[in-house]
Amino acid sequence: MLDITPVSKNTTNTANKRIMYQAFIDILPLAMAVIPWGILCGSLAIKVGLSAVQAQLMSLLVFAGAAQLASLTLIGAVGALSSIFSSTFVISSRHLLYSAVFREHVRESSMLTRCCMAFFLTDEMFAVSCAYLEKNKSFSHLYAISAGVVFYLIWNVATFIGIVAGQFIPNIENLGLEFAIAATFIAIVIPSIKRFSTLMSVLASGISVCVLSITGIEHALIIATCIGMATGFLTASKDKSNG
Amino acid sequence: MDNFGLMLLGMSCITFACRFLFFCKKLPFELGEKTTLALSYTAPSVLTAMWVPIVFLSYQHIEQSFFVSPFLIAGLLSIILSLKLKSTLLIVVISIMVFITLQLLY
Repeated sequence: MLDITPVSKNTTNTANKRIMYQAFIDILPLAMAVIPWGILCGSLAIKVGLSAVQAQLMSLLVFAGAAQLASLTLIGAVGALSSIFSSTFVISSRHLLYSAVFREHVRESSMLTRCCMAFFLTDEMFAVSCAYLEKNKSFSHLYAISAGVVFYLIWNVATFIGIVAGQFIPNIENLGLEFAIAATFIAIVIPSIKRFSTLMSVLASGISVCVLSITGIEHALIIATCIGMATGFLTASKDKSNG
Repeated sequence: MDNFGLMLLGMSCITFACRFLFFCKKLPFELGEKTTLALSYTAPSVLTAMWVPIVFLSYQHIEQSFFVSPFLIAGLLSIILSLKLKSTLLIVVISIMVFITLQLLY
């Protein structure tokens, strides 16, 4: 009897370690791809006049690369708080979908688990957790949170490198680091186009963001996203006939 | 920036709220079929609205003509690779290498 508890504990520990290791291996490639982006965020924050501590705090607390980058551009252009908040909301609104998808697996968990799941929820964590769910037919909070923590650490180290490098390397924002973002998003979006309506929403969003940006209309990102969503929604009825 | 504290607090709350909302035990509303459908286009739309300007409009900042911009060429390459390859990392790494090579060439 005495042996049973330690043995089962050990087995659980080994199983848990294996899940954490798997999460680390799965998220690592995506975390590597985010490094140039983190560097850009850190250096741009210094350039628009934030202190090193403020720049790091942004990555530590907000932890949303796209929203951070958009807000830094707005700070640089002396944008109002309201436009920073509205762009943050629009960019983050895709996380509403992610949290809705995870809802059934997470709603009964403890407050702490739910808070951790929410805080560490990113595009990348969502992608690997969905793949894990599909493969193992069961959702693992440990897996999702481990992947999220690894991503968080690498994101913050990259921001830190950007903060330091931004002070020593002039024009670091002209190196084209933002191309890494474009490449990552392309690699996420293009394979996700499996329906006719998704294709339409991507085309509508892409074309309208170009037209709006060239004509210099404010909130191009927000308007283009809404146009893309509306187009997808309205063409959804065509999906069946087009396979 | 004077309002940095406020901005940081606001942004942190907005991002956390979007991620946490559907983790609440009880919601005052249920997600309808139409809302779920509309939400499913959020990720592709917003991500596209972010990558398209980098690929197609960056040539304006680097004083190069549209067709030879490394952003455009490497961007189109990553679209093609995304259709062919399954590994995200491979797509990103190859595109970035091509991008860097093109930048060094000019």
